[in-house]
Amino acid sequence: MAIKNTGFHRKSGAESEIPTSSLADIAFLLLIFFMVTTVFRKERKRTIDWVTAEAMEKIDEKRKNIIHIWVERSGDVWINDRLTPYDDISEIIRPIYAENRELVVALRGDREVPYRQINTITEELQAAGAVRVTFATRLEQRSSRPRR
Amino acid sequence: MPIMQRKTRVSDEIPTASLADIAFLLLIFFLTTTVFNEEKGLPIVLPEQSEEQDVSPKNIIFFLVQADGRVVVRRGESEQEQVVSYREVEGILRAELIANDRLIAAIKTDPNAAYRHMVNVLDEVKLAGAERISLQVLE
Repeated sequence: MAIKNTGFHRKSGAESEIPTSSLADIAFLLLIFFMVTTVFRKERKRTIDWVTAEAMEKIDEKRKNIIHIWVERSGDVWINDRLTPYDDISEIIRPIYAENRELVVALRGDREVPYRQINTITEELQAAGAVRVTFATRLEQRSSRPRR
Repeated sequence: MPIMQRKTRVSDEIPTASLADIAFLLLIFFLTTTVFNEEKGLPIVLPEQSEEQDVSPKNIIFFLVQADGRVVVRRGESEQEQVVSYREVEGILRAELIANDRLIAAIKTDPNAAYRHMVNVLDEVKLAGAERISLQVLE
């Protein structure tokens, strides 16, 4: 009988505590992992007044598949930080599109730019074959209008 | 030399237990301060060059965006025109789409109109749920 009772009192040889000293290693590993995998876009932001919209959708595409075309109020077009004449847009986009068929062009135009300019750009894009275009917008304030 | 031999009571080891807290604090700080500039907008697929389709006039509704932002609605068959504010476009198109779900919304914009006027109308057209959209220049 005495032998049976000792079975309940037997202690496990393994430690039941979580080793706290290795937690730091795990945390730093995570930190370094995120630091290494983060890719920053080097493109400089241009100052534009955004157009607003409600029906906008998130571009469901990897960041490397998106190219920005900035159109400033003055009408200047910037692609990859380069001031680009309108006639050269298709020449610049064509090789990028040939390399990456998933390419989406995000058109970031100033709200006051005449539509003539925007139309010229879309025609250039068509000539380059890059037909997936998104008119980049910011969210419209919903309070200003009733929903139907 | 009793002074030389006196031992300090403060531990000279770096406390390893709090290292984890510091590391996680850094991790959470960077996680929360990172801002992803999300890519949002109104997507559209342009037609391929030289791809022109003949569309029956009864399957098309024109939204003519004027230079001052007013919108003229012209239904394909009839020549009658209706001047509206861009905010009415959604309601008009929604009603038309119920009657004919193969309707093409053609946005014709004056070349001198500001880009925002065209986006306003495109936004309304998207809100109405139109699948077939055409962008053109008003001549």
